[in-house]
Amino acid sequence: MLADRVSVSPSTEVAVPRAELRRKTTWRTRLIAYAFLAPTFIFILSFSYYPAVRALIGAFTSWDGFNPPTWIGFANFTQAFHDPVFLQSIGHVALWTVVGIPLALVPPFIVAELVFQLRSLRAQYLYRTLFIISMVLPTVVGILIWQYIYEPTGLLNAVLKLIGLGFIHHAWLANPSYALWAVILMGFPWVAPFNLLIYYAGLQAIPGELLDAAAVDGTSRWGRILKIDLPLVMSQVKLLLVLSIVGVSQNLLTPMLMTGGGPGTSTTTPVFYMYETAINYDQYGYGMAIAFMVFVVVMVLALLNMRYFQSEA
Amino acid sequence: MVQKRVPSISVHVILLVLAGLTLYPMIFMVFNAFKSGVQTAGSPFSFPFHPLWQNFALAFQATASAYWRSGFVVSVSVAAMLAFALLSAYAFARLEFPEREVLFYVIFGLLLVPGFLTLIPLFLEIKALNLLNSLWGLILPYIAGGQAFCVFILRTFVRSIPNDLFDAARIDGAGELQSFLRIVVPLSVPIVVTLALLNIVGLWSDYILPSLILSSNHATVAMAIANFQPPPLAPSVNAFNLQLAAFTMASIPIAVLFLFLMRYFVAGITNGAIKM
Repeated sequence: MLADRVSVSPSTEVAVPRAELRRKTTWRTRLIAYAFLAPTFIFILSFSYYPAVRALIGAFTSWDGFNPPTWIGFANFTQAFHDPVFLQSIGHVALWTVVGIPLALVPPFIVAELVFQLRSLRAQYLYRTLFIISMVLPTVVGILIWQYIYEPTGLLNAVLKLIGLGFIHHAWLANPSYALWAVILMGFPWVAPFNLLIYYAGLQAIPGELLDAAAVDGTSRWGRILKIDLPLVMSQVKLLLVLSIVGVSQNLLTPMLMTGGGPGTSTTTPVFYMYETAINYDQYGYGMAIAFMVFVVVMVLALLNMRYFQSEA
Repeated sequence: MVQKRVPSISVHVILLVLAGLTLYPMIFMVFNAFKSGVQTAGSPFSFPFHPLWQNFALAFQATASAYWRSGFVVSVSVAAMLAFALLSAYAFARLEFPEREVLFYVIFGLLLVPGFLTLIPLFLEIKALNLLNSLWGLILPYIAGGQAFCVFILRTFVRSIPNDLFDAARIDGAGELQSFLRIVVPLSVPIVVTLALLNIVGLWSDYILPSLILSSNHATVAMAIANFQPPPLAPSVNAFNLQLAAFTMASIPIAVLFLFLMRYFVAGITNGAIKM
């Protein structure tokens, strides 16, 4: 959706005849307009822009949240690049992005293709419903059930034992060598309902004539997927790619509930570290500096992606 | 359509296996919500043939007050969010004033501001306003947080309403407020329902901001189930099963909404994608 929002340009405005415009632009219309806009602006200025501006300024201060903040320039940023936990957390989120993005993009596409190629519309509807039912679970529930799955007496070890692999028995989240992988690979088989719906909508929008023509030409199933479906859902891929990058890099909830960033700092991500430094250690300025850096990197990545994919298309 | 078809039976098998695996955590949750701790330890995969309904009574006892709080926060936030957003959407779509474009981009720009950036300053602001442990400490930021997306979607919708309707109302002597109430409000019910659903689901599950602003004895549902404390008299061996019962109950309000309004929800998610 981010991509959708960004690509809108003012040129889509409905043209209003000049005469009508002049007639309408009176002090009275202006006053009415402001009255209609007032509630929105009161709220976004006080609870969106004010904290956002404070976050950006706060990054350059030292602040315990109690005494007045003091301006320290770039000291927080210099500190961050000498902070082993922060540097380690960048590695964690990098791995999470590299592994997590294919998992977010590929399985939902495969399922969307399989469902879309079914001939019965009723079966399509049924499968689509089955795959999106889990959307009713609150996010915290999904995470906490997976936490249980990874426990020493949890489901994963029980399943491994059941299929004769009982010797690969681990306290998955308590072991620093496995914890990050466990957190990243949560959600097997990774058919994210939202992503599935986006792909499915994209496939549905492919003109029927195109598919019929391919059928007449005797295009194979794989040929059709590679030459027609995939190129035509590229805008969906682009959208999900941007959303996944933004989503992975700002995922605070999963490390917070599942591992608390641990054991040690083995699952600490930059956003989780921001939360920890600010909320648990009262280093608000430092926390905001970390947030500032993540914000800049995410924006750059998201914009690069949109540029790259737009020039492709 | 396609001549070389993989036998469709194998497609069904693959889809059913994948659907089963996707749904399994949820099935596990519901099955074990009806068992005792001993039964779960012995056979975590089995169907609960002797359901312990009292798990739900005990779990509800431990979380009941959270439902009132979450219900209040979500309904007030979503109602105010959409009312304000629709008013703004009307101004941007139907009124001509010189600052229209600039002001629209002031709202639109917020879509680029991620939640984690404002989280800490927002917490400090709520604290400074003396709204810690108050539900208003959640409601006010929630109303603000929904404006950008809702105004954006609603503006497009209000613009698509035919001019003739507004001209006819003007001839009848209706002012802007009357046009808004008599034309825009009734016509935008479907899109407002879609936006309401998306926001209800999001706010019902929200954990991080509530956990910063409210203490555990003022918990919302998401907080109460995540930091679940079984009632004092419940057998402690069943604590995990009670938590699963609490999880199941917390999903029911959303499940009911889905049951009746699934079409709106699916349309809401997919429409944005096709129009790119």
